[in-house]
Amino acid sequence: MGKKSLHIILFLFFFPTVIFAQKHGRDSVPKVLDEVIVTATRTENKVSNIPLPVEVISAKNIQRSGSQKLLDILQMQTGLVVANNPLGTSLQGYPNPFGEGVQMQGLDPAYTLILVDGEPLVGRNAGILNLGRIAIGNIKQIEIIKGPATCLYGSDALAGVINIITESSSENPVRFQTHYATNNTLGLTGAVSILHNKTSVELFANRYSSDGYDLDKNIYGKTIDPFRDYSGNVKVKFQLNEKSDLTISARYFSETQFNNYLIYPQDHPEVVKGTTRETDGSVFIKYNHKLNSKVSYYASVYSTYYHNNAAVFLEKNDSFYERIELTDFLLRPEIQVSIGKNPSSLFTTGAGYNIEKLNSTRYNSVNKLNSGYVFVQKQLLVNSKTNIIAGARYDKNSLYPAQLSPKIAMAYKPAPNFILKGSVGAGFKAPDFRQQFLNFSNSLIGYTILGAKELAHGLQRMQNAGEIAPSVDIKPYLHPNDLDPEKSIGVNLGFDYTLHDNTVFKLNVFRNDISNLIESYNLPFNKTNNQSIYSYKNLNRVFTEGLEASLTNNFNANFSIFAGYQFLIAKDKDVINDIKEGKLYKRDPVTYQTSLVSLSEYKGLYNRSRHNANLRFQYNNVSHRASAFITAKYRGDYGYSGLNGFQNGSGVYDDDRETVKGFVLLNTTLSKKIWKDWEVQGGIENILNYKNKTLMPNIYGRTFFINLIFKPKKIKQQ
Amino acid sequence: MKITNLKLTLLSAAIVVTGMMSCGKDDNPVPTPAPSITVTDSMKIGYSDNHYAFYSFKDSSRVNLSDSASTKWDFGVRFVSIIVNSHASGPGNAGVITENSIFNNYTTAPADGYGYDTSSTNLAIDNSFSTGWYNYDNATHVLSPKAGKFFVIKTADGHYAKMEILAVDYANFNPPNPTPDSLVYKFRYTYQSDGSRNF
Repeated sequence: MGKKSLHIILFLFFFPTVIFAQKHGRDSVPKVLDEVIVTATRTENKVSNIPLPVEVISAKNIQRSGSQKLLDILQMQTGLVVANNPLGTSLQGYPNPFGEGVQMQGLDPAYTLILVDGEPLVGRNAGILNLGRIAIGNIKQIEIIKGPATCLYGSDALAGVINIITESSSENPVRFQTHYATNNTLGLTGAVSILHNKTSVELFANRYSSDGYDLDKNIYGKTIDPFRDYSGNVKVKFQLNEKSDLTISARYFSETQFNNYLIYPQDHPEVVKGTTRETDGSVFIKYNHKLNSKVSYYASVYSTYYHNNAAVFLEKNDSFYERIELTDFLLRPEIQVSIGKNPSSLFTTGAGYNIEKLNSTRYNSVNKLNSGYVFVQKQLLVNSKTNIIAGARYDKNSLYPAQLSPKIAMAYKPAPNFILKGSVGAGFKAPDFRQQFLNFSNSLIGYTILGAKELAHGLQRMQNAGEIAPSVDIKPYLHPNDLDPEKSIGVNLGFDYTLHDNTVFKLNVFRNDISNLIESYNLPFNKTNNQSIYSYKNLNRVFTEGLEASLTNNFNANFSIFAGYQFLIAKDKDVINDIKEGKLYKRDPVTYQTSLVSLSEYKGLYNRSRHNANLRFQYNNVSHRASAFITAKYRGDYGYSGLNGFQNGSGVYDDDRETVKGFVLLNTTLSKKIWKDWEVQGGIENILNYKNKTLMPNIYGRTFFINLIFKPKKIKQQ
Repeated sequence: MKITNLKLTLLSAAIVVTGMMSCGKDDNPVPTPAPSITVTDSMKIGYSDNHYAFYSFKDSSRVNLSDSASTKWDFGVRFVSIIVNSHASGPGNAGVITENSIFNNYTTAPADGYGYDTSSTNLAIDNSFSTGWYNYDNATHVLSPKAGKFFVIKTADGHYAKMEILAVDYANFNPPNPTPDSLVYKFRYTYQSDGSRNF
């Protein structure tokens, strides 16, 4: 990306500030909302009281966009980038088992914790959670915390947390929506909200289906296979008395994907057909009790499961070919006690226990992980200008060393409209089941991958079976070191500046230092078929750093704008060391001249864009009961290993020939209210028709949609 | 994946006599440079071959499979495994050192420190995924020799050579079929025919 385009971005970014911020201080201009969120502290807090980088996506903005996909909504946020698993990008007609996730502060999707109503979803595939499992029709708001939140949530919350809060007492007793879009995509959503005596009931159901699409006609099979999703949600809240309530909620999701692709069993193409079925469900029970004006507590039990079953059959004779299955189960009892008053002085502590079980066709047996945790947190208003949050969490389990994750955050308000924020926190990500328990031999090539806990057992078994020569000394590998969790230290520093109540400018500078990254390595001896044996160990150290800025401006009651920008640098520290020590070489692919890679040539980790920007305009026309919503996302240039077959033997991103050009996604939605309770929406997504069939198979190209919404307002009781 | 035209590659295999010192006709008598040759060549190998393909530095040519038990060959390749002619792999006296530096600037082979293949699965040249002589990309299937890595080889009959693999191209590779028909190994080497360790 050239300097010129950077200037344009900076100009676009500051232009609205200059124009709008100055003149409008009238009373009619709506204030920028100071939302209440729960994710940052596990207690209700106004965003302005939280000394952390926080973003809130409101239900209104989700509805205005008309979109049905969580991923599309998330990627329109500053600093959130849709990232494909590198293995999922060029599967050439194969169903992509990994999907896409969200990159936050330059860290892969595996490092962001995804919660629904504060509880985690399980069933990550190669670190990526299929966000399509979360229907968006009953979302109240999405809370995003950037920077490590391990001090409250434990493993995985290393880059941050995305917490999807579902509707609890909607102002609409009935909602119904139909969505129809390109590729015969059909969405039907229905929701009912009942308040009877002191009991509230929320019912939600969604059906979503699509014919999928094919971006490359030369390859057999569709890029995205046809699928059909069903999801349902029931939430009941009993107000037991003035001081206590009980919430019971259950959710269910199922997706069936209809697969059809080519395989090559003996180098000979064969058509296979089958289905991939993902189901996921959870039950949550929570009892809230207020002992007195100062002390309250809750006790909860959460249980969830995830099941993935992919079966394919040869088309020619309908014979069974292959089945891959995975089941993940989690049970978590938890209690939390809060003492004091928010925000002046509040002490929160809690403890819980995780029982997780995982079973897969690629593992030897059912694998279990039991872990306990306890956390403490103090929120304190030191004086009228300063507030502090300090906390720590201790996680203990049988598979890896116990972890203590502290965090401290502070906000200082030199003026009522100016808040300085700073935080330092530790984060960790536990080794996943694959890294611990995988026991997989590739039938085509013949290599073997063993998780760290399977290594000793697997090697012995292979030597006994004659797959490893008897002369090989496997003893040194029979007692491998336990895998350590991947660890990070995250620092965030920034400020929020409010002008005339209707304009907020936010800036945050971040740095994450991650060590102990778990990588696969190969053992120094081979199998008797001369293929390698791989396992996992803690290896790399990387850092990500950058700057995030955003501007919200409510120009007047009917017009608002939001602009955001992220600058990012993400590099491997060990690569930097190798370069400094003169150990990293590259080879010119034309002349075959070898030379040292210099520090300035090293561009950083693959698949990270240095520049990302987003814009959002919203316009209401009261007299016509109509509104317009326009969003744009710019994802800057990024590196892709082996792009177009390029190779220079350095193994790192150090050449422009590996640069994928940046792109813009532009969406627009027009809404108009008709009759009393109806609304029609029409929109175009990806107006510029950006496509990249190998690197971005999740982007179809220009898409049209139309929504019909029925949403009567609650009848006021007299 | 761009498929290298093998015939063209073979035809253009440049044979360059390294005459770095002999170009200038100085008055000062300079010791006659060692008659070393630098050659760029390639071998096409069946992807699923279960035998090695052999090469001779001296003859700058491939050696027949029937001569696998002789000292006619200096190194052999099968997929990502490379063998040298001694001990477990052949009747010769070969040895190898894996070197990390710039091929062109490397002028003298060491006197000792050469490794050899102790068994058919324990080779002197590391052929494994992360620490071996190549990078492999799971997603694009690009097999790329690590830059700066080359082999100092004592040949079957005690001569010295340095050899670097420049590229491994797939021939007849038609994704999504995961297996190419064959692999084309492109490499260069400098062979010192006078028996000295200088290149």
